[in-house]
This record gives sequence, structure tokens and C-alpha cells, in this order.
Amino acid sequence: MRILKYLMLKLLPFVYAITLITVVWQLVIVFTHPHPSILPTPWATAKNFITLIENGSLFIHTGASLGRVFSAWLLSACVAVPLGLIMGRSILLERILDPIIELFRPISPLAWIPLAILWFGIGEAGKIFVVFIGTFFPILLSTVAGVKSIDPILINAGKVLGCRSHFSLFRKVIFPAATPNIMVGLRISFGTGWAAIIAAELVAARSGLGYLIANGMEILRADHVLVGMIMIGLLGVCFDAFFRFINRYLTWQA
Amino acid sequence: MSTQHQPLRIENLSKIYTSSEGSQVTALQEVSLDIHAGEFVVIVGPSGCGKSTLLNILAGLEQSSSGQALAYGKPITQPDIDRGMVFQSYALFPWLSVRGNVEFGLEQRGLDKTQRRAVALEYLQLVGLSEFADKRIHELSGGMKQRVAIARAFAINPSIILMDEPFGALDALTRRFLQGELLRIWRSHQKTIVFITHSVPEAIVLGSRIIIMTARPAQIKSEVSVELPYPRDTASEDFRALEQQLYAQLDEEVARTFEMK
Ligand SMILES: Nc1ncnc2c1ncn2[C@@H]1O[C@H](COP(=O)(O)OP(=O)(O)OP(=O)(O)O)[C@@H](O)[C@H]1O
Ligand SMILES: [Mg+2]
Repeated sequence: MRILKYLMLKLLPFVYAITLITVVWQLVIVFTHPHPSILPTPWATAKNFITLIENGSLFIHTGASLGRVFSAWLLSACVAVPLGLIMGRSILLERILDPIIELFRPISPLAWIPLAILWFGIGEAGKIFVVFIGTFFPILLSTVAGVKSIDPILINAGKVLGCRSHFSLFRKVIFPAATPNIMVGLRISFGTGWAAIIAAELVAARSGLGYLIANGMEILRADHVLVGMIMIGLLGVCFDAFFRFINRYLTWQA
Repeated sequence: MSTQHQPLRIENLSKIYTSSEGSQVTALQEVSLDIHAGEFVVIVGPSGCGKSTLLNILAGLEQSSSGQALAYGKPITQPDIDRGMVFQSYALFPWLSVRGNVEFGLEQRGLDKTQRRAVALEYLQLVGLSEFADKRIHELSGGMKQRVAIARAFAINPSIILMDEPFGALDALTRRFLQGELLRIWRSHQKTIVFITHSVPEAIVLGSRIIIMTARPAQIKSEVSVELPYPRDTASEDFRALEQQLYAQLDEEVARTFEMK
């Protein structure tokens, strides 16, 4: 019962937002009478949503986008978290890498799409590359920040309690102490990765939600475009909720 | 004389810090001190004189600039689980439970999971916190946190325990209580303790020997062996007399600290 009530409270703002958007959307149609290929009604879009679910194409496209973003994000985390842990502890390594990172960071992952296509073609590798770039820096920087914010006294405590090697100090003190920050980086980067994969698919793909949208534009099916957009928004909200939920179990912050 | 059985020996130890701008601060100057098994040595001195520096060198967390510190005859170059430490700010790991904190060092001692659990429970019982084993650190009061830190340091069973103003952040009542607990544990477990404090009464309540440091650069000004029997009566005449004597010496040094500026 309490879980139900909690869910209701969490979902209510979204019900409100969806209702408002639908009403405004309908009003725009009532007053401007656009051609359905430019702006279909909410009802027609909903029907198209069902159709795309029924013929399976929505699953295929969503699955394609999710698969890419997830594998690239995971790959990125596997590189960025260990590198960030070491960078946060080594002044030398930070001095060497920081200027390079500062130069690359302002370049949006979207700006890498043309190069990704030139280098990797329109296959999976190029898209994974773009998402990797987009997720790498948020994870790296939040990991470094997490390590740097560790109270040095905790590191001393780890040492006097028997962490003799760098490795055991990293494993038993530095990594757990930095997890709240690392989790923030993982959550934020999943969002940026999700945005980047859609953009990459708009430009060069044969599947994915970005492709669904781009293709909808080409064949003048605004209802396909809208279904794709709605799916992106819904999933984005779900990921964020999911990360916040597991965060409570994975990190120790009060 | 052999130093092999002597927990700590400090020989002509000096420590000079160089700041990033190049200016130098001498924190310790030619300090020599012998600490014997089972002693409870309390170090008092003006703030900023170099007490924490000395303790950190004994722990192996910092290196001396010249001279050396020996533990059982061997030069101290890095931390060792035979020298436990209790910090003023508790330094508990907030991502672990109370039990997890006490078990932390036991893994390094090579105990398996069930052994670790048993030892942790034993030491939590010793400090009266066995019911709080599964609590998170942020759920505890300051006094409880410091008891966990004491349990954590003693659980690995080091022969030497270094304590840097461990009760400094606690209220007077909790402090009195923990002083009693610490004395009880020290006497039943035969440890050698080096304890830093700002409080003269605390020094006399606890110490079997009291070392008074000078203003920076820290040297040993004088030392007193306290012959009063435990538990010590803070209202007794001997206690009061010793208190006066220590205050007089410390006042001199604190005055010098301010003259330096
Ligand atoms: N890492 C450091 N770098 C430079 N100077 C330092 C460093 N650590 C300590 N000092 C200096 O060394 C001197 C002694 O410091 P220390 O912390 O040992 O004093 P203390 O006796 O423990 O003081 P308190 O009683 O206030 O804790 C101080 O003047 C301090 O500024
Ligand atoms: Mg100090």
C-alpha cells in the first residue's frame, strides 16, 4: 500500500505534465489546422505509437539505440573510472592529462559525428565512438573530483589499518570514498550519451530512435517523428529515476 | 642497551616543513625519547608546536628530516598494523557500518570472515556498542564514533596505540567517561599508549608519564612520572599540585608562542 502511494506521488507530476502538453498540442491543432503530415493530432500519434509497438519496429529501434548507448557508456566507465581514480591521486598524471582534457572537453560529442563517419563509416563502431566521447569526460571529471574531495585523514586511517599497497588503498578506501561522485558522473553521462546517440543516428544509421525520427521526416510522417521523440523523453526519465533509485542502495551518502 | 624490546625510541628527531613558497618551518628539533612497554605516555604542549607531527612520524605517515624513530629496534618508515592510531576527527569510514569499520583492519591481519565477525563483536562489546554493530556511522553521536574508532584500533591488537587528541571534540561528560573506558582497556590489554592532549587534567588522569613540549620548534621541556594510583582522584591534593606545576610550565611556553608572532 505504501509503495503504491509513493508511486502515485512520484507519478502525479508526470501525469500533470503529459496532460498539459496534450491539451496545448490539441489547442494548436484546433487553431492552426496543420496538415497531418506536419503535425498529427495527439490521438493519431497515440494510435501510431500502438501500431509501431504492434509491428515491432518501435522495439527494434529502441533496442538498437539502447544497445549502443549502454555498451559505449559501459566501455567509457571502464576506462574513465580507473583513470580518474589514478589522476585524482597523482599530481604528475593530472598535470600531464589535464591540459589535453581541457582542450577536448568543450568539443561537443556531436562535433565528432562527421569524423566518426569518415573513420568508421555508418556501422556500429562510429556510433559507439561518439557516445564514448560524450560520456567519457563527465565520468572522468566527477571521479577525479570525488577522489580529491576525500578527507586525507581517511587515507591515513586506511594506511594505519593495514592497506600497504596502492592497490588495497584504492580498493578499500579511495574507490568507496569516491563512489557518490562517481555515481553522479555515471548518471549524468548516461544522459549525455543518450542525447549523443540520437544525434548520431539522425545523421548516419539504419536503425535506432534517431533513425526513426530522421526517416519520418524524409517520408513526411510527422507521427513517426513524434513517437520517436516521445520514446526518447520517456526513456530518459526512466533512466534518471532508475539511477536515483539504485544510487540509494549503492552509495553511502546520508 | 638493546632496543629490541622497546616499543618506541626517538633519536634526535627533527622535522622541517618547506612550504611551496620555499619558507621553512621547523616543527620538531632534536627530540629524543624512550617509551617502554606498557607505558601510558601523554604529550602536552602549546598548539601548533609539533605534537601531531611527532605522532604522525611514529605512525609512519610522515618521514623525519633527520634523526630517526625506532619501533622495537627497527626504523619506522611506513605504517604498520602493530601501531594503531586513533584520530581526533574519528576518521571512520562512512560507507561501512560500525561493524565494517571495526573489521576493516582485521582482513589485513589475515582473519577469515567468521573470525573477523567474532573479533569485531568482542571489541564492540568492550566499548559497549555491540547493539549498534549494524548502524551507519552518521547515525552515531560523537562519543559513540570515538568509541568505534577505539574499538577499531584495538581490534587489530597492535602493541602500540597512538592517539592524537582523541577526546578533543567531545563534551566534558563524555570525555570523562571515555577516559575511564580507555584506562580500563589499557590496563586489561597491556598496551603501550602515546596520547596527545591539550588538557592538563586529562593528562594527569591518564598518563603514567607526562611529556611537556616547548613552543615551536618543539623540544622536550620536561617530563613527569605520575606516581598517583589509578583511578586518579581529580580532587586530591597531589592531583591539584601536579596540575599547578604543569600549568605553570605550559603557560611559559604558550607565552613564547605568542611572542614569536
Ligand atoms: N604538511 C605540513 N606542511 C607544512 N607545515 C606543516 C605541515 N603540517 C604541520 N605543519 C606545521 O608544523 C607545525 C606543527 O604542526 P602540528 O600539527 O604538529 O602541531 P600540533 O602540536 O599538533 O598542534 P595542535 O595542538 O594545534 O594540534 C605547525 O606550525 C604547522 O603549521
Ligand atoms: Mg595536532
